[in-house]
Amino acid sequence: MSNLNDSEPPQKPLAPGLSDADLIASHEKASGKQPDEQGRFNLVPLALLFSFSALIMWSGSYMGRFSGHFDPKIFDENALPSKGVEVVAAIDPLVLGKKQYIAACVACHLPDGKGIAGVNPPLAGAEWVLGSEERLVRIVVHGLKGPIQVLGNNYNGAMPVFGRVAGSGYNWSDDKIAAVLTYIRQEWGNAAAPISTELVAAIRAKEGNRKEWTAEELLALP
Amino acid sequence: MSTATTEVSAIDTHARVPVLLLLGFGLVWLLVSGVLALMASVQLHTPGFMAGYAWLTYGRTQALQETAFVYGWLGNAGLGLGLWILARLAGSSLRAGNWIIVGGIFWNAGVALSLAGIMAGDMTGHALFQLPSYAQPLLFLAVGAMSVSGVLAWSDRRSEGTYAAQWYVFAALFFFPWILSVAYVSLLASPLRGVLQSIAAGWYAQNLLTLWLAPLALGAAYYVVPKITGRVLPVYQFAGLGFWTLILVGSWTGGRHLIGGPVPAWVPSLAIASASLLVLHYLLVLLNLRGVFGGGGTSMKLLAFGLIAYVGGGLADAVLSIRSISVITHFTYFAQAQQQLALYGAFSVMIFGALYYAVPRLAGRALTSATLAGGHAILIMAGVVLLVVSLGAAGWSQGHALLDPKISYPEIAAATRPWLLGASAAQALLLLGNLMLGVNFALTLSSSLLASTAPVYAPPAKLAASVS
Amino acid sequence: MKNGPLFFLGLFASLTFSFAGVVLFANAQLGGLTPYYDDAEGKSFPERMPGVAERGQLVYRDLGCVSCHTQQVRRPGFGADQARGWGERQSVARDFIHQPNPQVGAMRIGPDLTNLAGRKPSALDAEDLMKLLYAGQGAMPAHAFLFETVKVSGQVPAKALKLTGNLAPASGMAVVPSERAQVLVAYLLSLNTVYDYPESRPFVKAAKKTEGGIK
Repeated sequence: MSNLNDSEPPQKPLAPGLSDADLIASHEKASGKQPDEQGRFNLVPLALLFSFSALIMWSGSYMGRFSGHFDPKIFDENALPSKGVEVVAAIDPLVLGKKQYIAACVACHLPDGKGIAGVNPPLAGAEWVLGSEERLVRIVVHGLKGPIQVLGNNYNGAMPVFGRVAGSGYNWSDDKIAAVLTYIRQEWGNAAAPISTELVAAIRAKEGNRKEWTAEELLALP
Repeated sequence: MSTATTEVSAIDTHARVPVLLLLGFGLVWLLVSGVLALMASVQLHTPGFMAGYAWLTYGRTQALQETAFVYGWLGNAGLGLGLWILARLAGSSLRAGNWIIVGGIFWNAGVALSLAGIMAGDMTGHALFQLPSYAQPLLFLAVGAMSVSGVLAWSDRRSEGTYAAQWYVFAALFFFPWILSVAYVSLLASPLRGVLQSIAAGWYAQNLLTLWLAPLALGAAYYVVPKITGRVLPVYQFAGLGFWTLILVGSWTGGRHLIGGPVPAWVPSLAIASASLLVLHYLLVLLNLRGVFGGGGTSMKLLAFGLIAYVGGGLADAVLSIRSISVITHFTYFAQAQQQLALYGAFSVMIFGALYYAVPRLAGRALTSATLAGGHAILIMAGVVLLVVSLGAAGWSQGHALLDPKISYPEIAAATRPWLLGASAAQALLLLGNLMLGVNFALTLSSSLLASTAPVYAPPAKLAASVS
Repeated sequence: MKNGPLFFLGLFASLTFSFAGVVLFANAQLGGLTPYYDDAEGKSFPERMPGVAERGQLVYRDLGCVSCHTQQVRRPGFGADQARGWGERQSVARDFIHQPNPQVGAMRIGPDLTNLAGRKPSALDAEDLMKLLYAGQGAMPAHAFLFETVKVSGQVPAKALKLTGNLAPASGMAVVPSERAQVLVAYLLSLNTVYDYPESRPFVKAAKKTEGGIK
């Protein structure tokens, strides 16, 4: 029966259609698992072997270079994991110090560092701020009580205890104290050297817990 | 019994109702998704289109068309053809046909429910996994029911050896319920934390393509090509290597869509390395199926186009996923072009090719209109090329513009607009072509049903005459 | 592949292998990610978004905003994200740990939204966002269905949008955002990654000596 006007345009007569059973059988034979008529097995052609190896090498070296060694903290493919040292976010002392100043110091010493006349001493241009680091750190860490003369004026107030010592209401870390002191020494026209965390820590270790300083005690220090 | 007449198998009479039902459902969803895709495409260059309706806002039409296309069209057609192929290669009639029918009804109820749910706003937010959580158990059960036939076809097969098409289809039947349930648990039932959801969703989306759709399409191609050419595949001894490379390596390539993203660098790097390794699979498939270029007929033309799209797309993926290129193409229409090349150009067209082989044999008569068939093939091929080129060009210009901070968003929109109009034109072509297929299919079925005696399709005369 | 059970086992092993390698391994690394406690600030980051914003994220999800917008900033040097003002640093995994439904996104048909509320010099405020949602702009469609046009009886509602020109409603009417619009805008206003985690700081190729070698 002829079906010349059917949907399939007459197919090129390449060969008789394979039956399903033939399909499976002929391909089983072709898969090389059985030896062919001459008893030979099919070997992997060299071209295939080469391309496979080349692809594996490429992929492997890509992984070696760009995987960050599977470290979950590496988000940049060019980065490599740091050896040993725990990466800590570097704190910019001026940014931190300013934040701390605004959080705690601004109420008494005012945003412009001028203090309140007769009540709270100024920080801008003050000799206590620009001068000895030993004295300045102690004031903030342990607090100050009693009369003190700043820029020729007398004040009699109470500077709270900020450091991590007994009786402290703030318990600021050495980092924070170093930062805020660095900030006040560089703000409002002040230009003095920054204070390091190590110095604060050393002073705190040396003095331990003690009551608030007085001006005389501080002046006795170098 | 001559070899030519066995090309039309007695199995087909039993397989007729279940498989044609699935194919019919699939074609309905193909048309629905075509309309939705056209709508979504128009909304990209004409944002005011349908903007007044919450249920058709672009985010939802995009999810709708994707779901209808993948789960509605590709799912139905791929599973239908796959089960038919397994039955034929098993050498015995299609078993558990009723399970397929019930499963098919549940599957399509699930898809319909998903679409309604997405319109109502219950989409999950993950690409290619937008099915609302309440619809997923339906799909899971449905595919389980349909797989009974496949499992029986494998276990009760006549010959001990198996052919590549069987491996692919069986693998697809196995993988889908697993990846669906794993994704359901990791993303919906007990969601992973933070960006792990993106990683798991990427794994699922990639495996949907690599472990479900690609095996279904390749299984169909591996079956139809030697059946039509009548020749053994040239490098069949490496078909197994090609198969396992796809399965083992392909499922690691999901992280490509997270390049530069908030995930550890090894996730995309691993995917890029795997995509390169996967080139071997594409080369082996090309070498094996190259007989498709010699043949004639609508089936072979479509399979040839699908093969080029599949292999070309895969090779392109390996190259384009490299960071220096993806810095331009990521987040742009270019990624959409790549996906359309795979989903439409490769899988869908290969399934069309297999469909043109299967439907005459299942319906028992040739397709009613050769013109409609030829027209469909031309429109699909032209449409896919236009779509991929338009979206690719849009994405390329968008990508370059995004890299230049001085170019503002309105300028980018103006530059991509002509290409997006081209993409909409392509969607219109595709829809028209699919309408032709739908009409042809309906006419064929109705005349098959109206035939007085059980018709048996006879293969083209020239083929019969060449039997020795 | 003659042996059915062996084939089946091979398929299962392949799937398990890829799932374990990609998802489970990533989960082992990132699943237990905790917020980062900053000594200086005295609190942990990221901060949880307010409840209204979490509801807004659900609206963001169900409208499919993720189909056009991303919420991931790429590292400096990879794309122009920083130059476009979308963020000062790369988005990292820790930014998403408190989000039940991260909408990371894969298309930039519209701009990236990670730091929408933190854009410099001036971010959009609630009024701008409401107007943008109501009228659309450029490629962004109008979402007028998120709003209701009500009759003004007496005072104009406090939440009414200030619309002019041809967007303005008829006289005696006012456009009021629905609850969905309000929570969506609350969510959009919460989009701001404020903290710089150690892992998000850009990698600078230091002197060769300090770089770790491949072991």
